[in-house]
Amino acid sequence: MSGTVDIPDDVKKSLRKFRFARRDAGSAALIVKINKAKLIMEEEEQFDSISLEDLSEELPENSPRFVLLSYELHHRDGRKSFPLVLINWAPSTCEIGMLTLHASSLIQFQNAADVSKVIEIRDGTESLTKEAIDAKLLV
Amino acid sequence: MSAPEVFPLSVGPITGHAFNADRSQVCVSLNSSDAQVMAYDGTGWKTTETLSEHDKLITSIDWAPNSNRIVTCSQDRNAYVWTQVPDPQTGELTWKPTLVLLRINRAATFVRWSPNEDKFAVASGARAIAICSFDEENNWWVSRLLKKPIRSTVLSIDWHPNNVLLAAGSADQKARVFSAFIKDVDKRPGPTVWGDKLPFNTICGEWSSPNGGWVHSVAFSPSGDAMAFVSHDSSISIIYPGGPGVITVKTTILPYVTLTWTSESSIVTAGHDCQPHVFQGSENGWAMVGSLDSSKGTHRHTGQRNQIEAFNRFRQADSRGSQGEEDTELLPTVHQNTITSVRAFDGSPDRVTRVSTSGVDGRLVLWDANAVGQPVGLAGKMAGLRM
Repeated sequence: MSGTVDIPDDVKKSLRKFRFARRDAGSAALIVKINKAKLIMEEEEQFDSISLEDLSEELPENSPRFVLLSYELHHRDGRKSFPLVLINWAPSTCEIGMLTLHASSLIQFQNAADVSKVIEIRDGTESLTKEAIDAKLLV
Repeated sequence: MSAPEVFPLSVGPITGHAFNADRSQVCVSLNSSDAQVMAYDGTGWKTTETLSEHDKLITSIDWAPNSNRIVTCSQDRNAYVWTQVPDPQTGELTWKPTLVLLRINRAATFVRWSPNEDKFAVASGARAIAICSFDEENNWWVSRLLKKPIRSTVLSIDWHPNNVLLAAGSADQKARVFSAFIKDVDKRPGPTVWGDKLPFNTICGEWSSPNGGWVHSVAFSPSGDAMAFVSHDSSISIIYPGGPGVITVKTTILPYVTLTWTSESSIVTAGHDCQPHVFQGSENGWAMVGSLDSSKGTHRHTGQRNQIEAFNRFRQADSRGSQGEEDTELLPTVHQNTITSVRAFDGSPDRVTRVSTSGVDGRLVLWDANAVGQPVGLAGKMAGLRM
């Protein structure tokens, strides 16, 4: 499917590697940004084990990002699973052009990363908490 | 003692004025959606450029002295930052606007650059203050809103010298001090008398106007250790958080709507009484010492005693049922209508020598801040006042 923003092959490879990496503990995150000048996606940073508070500190306050998160989820019956979640980080203070570009390429990115669950974070640092993610994932 | 310099700029009100760094140019809004940049040509102020971008009335203007940028805010819920760039065709310097989306849903009322000129704050009728900073990555002004616990229109704001604290006066009859710390713009500020460890939107203090009235104007002292506000109940309050707390001076004069500190121990206020008054004091107490307007013979009231209270004049007209014997078209003060803005003009912040005022009468006046007139006439009039 074509769109305004291209996903280069090395980003796709990173996404696959991230998806299939074995996880024992901790939440891992892969941050992808859109390069507005070249209209391609770029891998910005990868964290192997990071808490959600630290992750929200790392994310920019005024720029949209896609965050592929392998989240350490503790179920109520004691099980631990590591579901793959896509966080659509789009604070409302972002520049409008970037936000539109980001929104229009969401579906494309979701297909490339092969992720079913998408969580929207529109408010910025305060909304990215363990409680919020748990609430969305523990149905 | 020098006489005040009077410049009649327009027939209608001046809604905002701001001088540039060397005071050779002034940017004014003459009750319209355009701002005029005027330069002094020896005799008066002549318009050199018109800044035309807003859709509705411009409510406030500020000119950053070091970075030479103008910010204007308007009832159209937007603010524009104007920078001087060479015009591509002619090569002359022109003012180019950059839109700032404040994300407020009511009019903007007041705007001020921060001391380091990397942020500016916009007060609005949306019960919020927008703190705007420039995001380099996106080439875009980003605004964050200070909302809690403001319950009504914010009428006036002032920055603390440390570039982080912000005082705000609001129509919910409260004056507050907020922390407007922006993560990538400010370094962590040192502790002050207002508090330390201050994330964005922390309330450092909240004070009510003594008798309940809109807080029209707030200002930090030059050192930042005290804050003064004037409210519609005709009072001025000075807050010393490190010392005695609140010192209130209640007056029987028409309410003040604007103030500025001329030193650590003196304040110039102005408002509906159409003349600037001077208050002096310290942590031990404050009192009014007089007026900067000592005009006696400049109008047709030559020979008559200096009636420096508009309130008294109307009271006379009411009791006599007439306008008075002489020509009463002109007030005996230099300003003929409410003064809406007083700003420091000359001198360092802790020793201001001249102030500029503008008002509803369309006049821009420069005053000698030390030419305090006789308070005698004032006291005499006040002795005769009966409510």
